[in-house]
Amino acid sequence: MAARGCTLSLWLWLWSPLLLPLLLGARADAARWSGEGTTPHLQSIFLGRCAEYTTLLSLQPGSDWHLLNKNCTAIWEAFKVVLDKDPCSVLPSDYDLFINLSRHAIPRDKSLFWENNHLLVMSFSENTRRFMPLCDVLYGKVGDFLSWCRQENASGFDYQSCPTSEDCENNAVDSYWKSASMQYSRDSSGVINVMLNGSEPNGAYPVRGFFADFEIPYLQKDKITRIEIWVMHEVGGPIVESCGEGSVKNLEDRLEALGFQHSCIDDYRPVKFLMCVDHSTHPDCVMNSASASMQRESPSLYTTGHASLLISLLVALTWSSQV
Amino acid sequence: MANYEFSQVSGDRPCCRLSRKAQICLGVGLVLLIASVVIAVIFLWPRAPLVWKGNPTTKHFPEIFLGRCLVYTQILRPEMRDQDCKKILSTFKGAFVSKNPCNITREDYEPLVQLVTQTIPCDKTLFWSKSKHLAHEYTRVQGKMFTLEDTLLGYIADDLMWCGDPSTSDMNYDSCPHWSENCPDNPVSVFWKVISQKFAEAACGVVQVMLNGSLSEPFYRNSTFGSVEVFNLDPNKVHKLQAWVMHNIEADSSNSCSGSSINELKLIVQKRNMTFACQDNYRPVRFVQCVKNPEHASCS
Repeated sequence: MAARGCTLSLWLWLWSPLLLPLLLGARADAARWSGEGTTPHLQSIFLGRCAEYTTLLSLQPGSDWHLLNKNCTAIWEAFKVVLDKDPCSVLPSDYDLFINLSRHAIPRDKSLFWENNHLLVMSFSENTRRFMPLCDVLYGKVGDFLSWCRQENASGFDYQSCPTSEDCENNAVDSYWKSASMQYSRDSSGVINVMLNGSEPNGAYPVRGFFADFEIPYLQKDKITRIEIWVMHEVGGPIVESCGEGSVKNLEDRLEALGFQHSCIDDYRPVKFLMCVDHSTHPDCVMNSASASMQRESPSLYTTGHASLLISLLVALTWSSQV
Repeated sequence: MANYEFSQVSGDRPCCRLSRKAQICLGVGLVLLIASVVIAVIFLWPRAPLVWKGNPTTKHFPEIFLGRCLVYTQILRPEMRDQDCKKILSTFKGAFVSKNPCNITREDYEPLVQLVTQTIPCDKTLFWSKSKHLAHEYTRVQGKMFTLEDTLLGYIADDLMWCGDPSTSDMNYDSCPHWSENCPDNPVSVFWKVISQKFAEAACGVVQVMLNGSLSEPFYRNSTFGSVEVFNLDPNKVHKLQAWVMHNIEADSSNSCSGSSINELKLIVQKRNMTFACQDNYRPVRFVQCVKNPEHASCS
C-alpha cells in the first residue's frame, strides 16, 4: 500500500512540471477574443491625431477649411459610442454621429482605394500631398492601426483582446472601417484610383472585402469621371495576377456592368519607383521605357517592340557574317 | 485780549488727538500699507506676455505632442513602449516655461536629454542639409534608416513651434520670437541644436548625409549639419561619412561631388580621422524623385 502510494506520488512528481505550466498557461492565455486588445492610451492617440489633422494638415493647399472648426472632443465623445454596446453588437450606423462630426471634403481626383498594400499606399500618398487615401482623411486617420472594444461584462475598454470578424461580424473595429469606407466612397469625385497587389496569392481583388462590399457600391456615378486600376507586383515577387486576369478581370467586368469608364495599368510607373527604392539594382527595377508599365488597352505595342528587336538582330548577324 | 487762540493743548483740537508717537506709528503703517499694495500689484497683477513677431506656439501643442509620442512608442517603435509620454511632455515644457524665450540654454534641455535615450543601430544614421523633404521621403519608404526626425524627440517636435513667457507657466499661444528679432537662444533653436548634437554623438559605423546639389553650396558651414553635427561625430565610433549629393530632377546634373563645397566637407572629415566618400544622385534616392517625374531621362 505504502509502496503504491509512493509510486503514485513519484509519478505525480515526475509529471507535474509538465502538467502545471500547461494548466497555468491555459488559464493565462484564455483570451476571450482572437484579436489584440484595445490600444493603450487610445484616447490620447485619438485626440492627438485629431488635433494634428485639424491644425497642421489643414494648412496644406487644397484642404477643406472647415477642418479648422472641428471639435476633437466632441468627435471623441461620438466615437466612444462603442462603450455603450456589447462588443459583438456594434453596427456601422452606430458611428453615424462620429462620421457626421468628422467628415470633410476630399479633393477631386485624389481618392486612392487599395487592397493588401497599406504601407505602400501610405508612402505613395505622402501625407495627403499626392493622394488622399482613407487613412489620410480625418475619420480614417484617427483610427488607423488602432484596436478597440468594450469589455464583455463591464463598461470600460477591454485591453486583453477584442473580437475580429472570426469572432463576430458586428465588432467595433470592422464596423468603424465599414462606416468610414462608405462615407469615403460617397465623398470621392473625379478620377478614382485603385491600387491592388498582383503578388497576393489569394488574388488582387478580394471579392469579399472593404473595397468590394463597402466602397464600390457607394461610389457616386455622377461625380466620377473614370476609375483607374493599378496592379502592382512585388519586386522579385510572384506575378499572380495582372490586368485582365483572374480577380482583376472580375473587377473590370463589375465596373463595366456598373457603367463606369475604367482602365488598368500593370506596375504603374510612379508607384513602381517607390517600390524599387530598396531594390535599385534588381532586374525588376531596370526602369527603361521598353520594360515600363504596360497599359491594358494597347498590348500590340509590346509585341511590336519584340519583333523589331528580332529583325535588327537578324540584320546585324547577316551583316557581320558577310564581313 | 486772551491768548486762547494760540494755545495748543492736544486734547482740545478735534483732528490731532494723537500723540506724536502715535502719529509716527500711523505714518509708518500707512507707508508700509501703500508699499505692500504696490508690491502686490507688481507681482500678482496678471501681466501681458512679451510680444514677438513670429508664429506662436502651435495650437493644441500638448495634445499633438502627447499623441505623437504615443504613436511613436506604441505603434511605430514598440521597443520604446515603456517610455512615459506624460513625463516627457512635462520635462520638455520645464525647459522653457516661465522663462524669457531669448535666454534659453542647453542646460535647460538637459533633463529631457537624460530622460529620453534612444540607440540608433550603426550604419543607419542619415543626416540631411537643405534636403529635408527628400530625406524623409527616403527613410519613410526605406524604413531602416533614421534621420533626426525619425528618432522619438525629433518625430515629436518636427514642424512644431513653441515658446514660454516669464509672466506665466503656460506656453505663449500669441507669438514667439522671429528669426529677425536677434533672439538666437530661443526654445526651438536651442532644442534642435541640443538634439542634433546628441544625434551626432550617438552615431556609429558609416554615417550618411543627403545634400542638395542644386544649391551653389551643397555643404554650408552655417547649417546645423555644417556647424553642429559634423563636429560632434565621434571618430572612435564613426569611421566613414558618405555624402549623397542630390540634384533637382529637372535641373542639369552638375559635378557637385568634385565641387569646392564638398571638398571643404571632405577636408573637415579627413582631418577628424574619418574616411569620406561622395555620390552624385545616389540611385535609391533618385528613385524617390522619379515618383514625381517618372518620364524624366534620368529615370530610365
